[in-house]
Amino acid sequence: MSTLVGTSQAVAVRRVNRHRARRWLADVLTYLGLAATLVFFLGPFFWIVTTSLKGNNDFFAFPPVWIPSDPSLAHYAALFTRASGLRYFLNSLTISSMSMVAALLVSLPTAYAIARWRFGGTIFGTFLLVLRMLPAIALIIPVYLMYKQLGLTNSYFGLVMLYTVVYIPFAVWLLVGFLRDFPVEIEEAAMIDGCSRVGALVRVVVPIIAPGMAVVALFAFIATWNEFLFAVVLTGIETKTMMVLVTTYTSGGTDMFYGEASASVVLGVLPAFAVAFILQRYLVKGLALGGTKG
Amino acid sequence: MRIPALALKRRQWEPFAFATPALVLIAIVIVFPLIYSFYLSLRDFDLSVGPDSAFVGARNYGEALLRDERFIASVWNTIVLIVPALVCELLLGLGIALLLNRVTRGRPIITALLAIPAMVSPVMAGMAWRMMFGVKYGAINNLGRQFGLLDVYFDWFSSPFMSIVSVVLVEVWQNTPFMMLVLLAGLQSIPQELYESVRVDGASPWQSFWHLTLPLLKFTMMVGIMIRMIDLTKLFGLIFVLTFGGPGGATETVAFNTYLVGFKDFRMSYAAALSYVIVGGVLILTLVFQLVQRWREARAA
Repeated sequence: MSTLVGTSQAVAVRRVNRHRARRWLADVLTYLGLAATLVFFLGPFFWIVTTSLKGNNDFFAFPPVWIPSDPSLAHYAALFTRASGLRYFLNSLTISSMSMVAALLVSLPTAYAIARWRFGGTIFGTFLLVLRMLPAIALIIPVYLMYKQLGLTNSYFGLVMLYTVVYIPFAVWLLVGFLRDFPVEIEEAAMIDGCSRVGALVRVVVPIIAPGMAVVALFAFIATWNEFLFAVVLTGIETKTMMVLVTTYTSGGTDMFYGEASASVVLGVLPAFAVAFILQRYLVKGLALGGTKG
Repeated sequence: MRIPALALKRRQWEPFAFATPALVLIAIVIVFPLIYSFYLSLRDFDLSVGPDSAFVGARNYGEALLRDERFIASVWNTIVLIVPALVCELLLGLGIALLLNRVTRGRPIITALLAIPAMVSPVMAGMAWRMMFGVKYGAINNLGRQFGLLDVYFDWFSSPFMSIVSVVLVEVWQNTPFMMLVLLAGLQSIPQELYESVRVDGASPWQSFWHLTLPLLKFTMMVGIMIRMIDLTKLFGLIFVLTFGGPGGATETVAFNTYLVGFKDFRMSYAAALSYVIVGGVLILTLVFQLVQRWREARAA
């Protein structure tokens, strides 16, 4: 009897062990798969960063040197001075910041009108969605001609206005969600206490939904930063953005100015890295609505 | 607490006042230009000829749809790029999402890291990969030569076929993370109890994937495909830096072709007409996609 119990226990133990071993193997394979995935998706960034830091010796070496033996910022210095990269970096920064603020200022009251009074109903909502899907190429031809007439090409103002408006649908869409989550009662209490509607919005609603607004702002910033078609058509030598600058390096075939080109790519993707980490929780929502595409 | 309703009746202008700035700006910067563009598309305005133009009716549209072989080829090119890109993004995205769904430790950080390619500009992604594809000093050829897989300087953009493969590769690299994020969200919304109950019923992991996960994920997949498909019809920045439409126009997408017509040839009216054809095409594509989906749902029910 005891031996019988013993063997059935042994069988059970062996089965549990086999189960554990299989589970362990699956975990190892999962992490291996994820490691390979990370290498594929982040490898190019690693290579671009190291290339931007490599001196000529490392760059021309064969077998290739993957980690620079003598890292230097010489390429960044060259980019900033020879190619006026600093100016274009600051252009991108200025245009993106201004568009971000303007988009938020214009979108917040609109979102408020939709969230509190169902302004425009479903028609307005659909209208915004259609605007969201509108290809940029359909807009750039008439806008270019208009701006040329008005002297708005090669100006911050023209580009900022365009970015602001193109971003309204997305910003409104996200802000309406945040405002709907906001309890109306708090606002009503403020209004009973003598606050005006605008006062309640500015003093009560805005401070509480500030994190939501920050999310919208960061998406607006990155979308504007990344935008290329409007920028390449509407900017001139003084107002070029980083996106336009980087394309000037394509002229030398595939073997071009690697140092400066990679340095400009590093600067160009910097905001994306920052925002991806800050906005982890909102990435799906933001990307799904086209938040990062101008 | 009926105050808002009262306020609404007393002051119906308030919502309008709040929405006015946005409405005015949208009217000036989007609606008016679109109307102007339609007006343009019915004329023969050509900046390289001069400021004068005449009304030509639907001639531009006729040319685009019937006679312009380059545009028709660009439609085909766009499809050739979209289909493999969508399939790869879906399969790869699903695979990674399934892997990530298995792990608990480190998931947030891995997700954030993987999302980065989807956050960078297509121009920057294209530029990074253009350098990676570099004939003499690019990372890919270097790696290939280091491991003895390549003994020549391979030019990734010399043939139409390899150029298409390269563009699709970069596109897949950039946007698979998006698909992965969407599918991961979908996977996590499937209640864990369902998996336990089918396991108790003796289903193998494969069976529970095939008969439980996939059907429940179908809607999320459709949404993801739809968003990517609409985005892919706008493919421009990547092409601009990676191939500039070449070789021989093999990777010239509709958006890129319209850009060239407008800002290289300066045929503004014709470019306006092309852009309306694109808008119409995307609209039809979206509607067909939704109709097919509804029809399949109705048939399944």
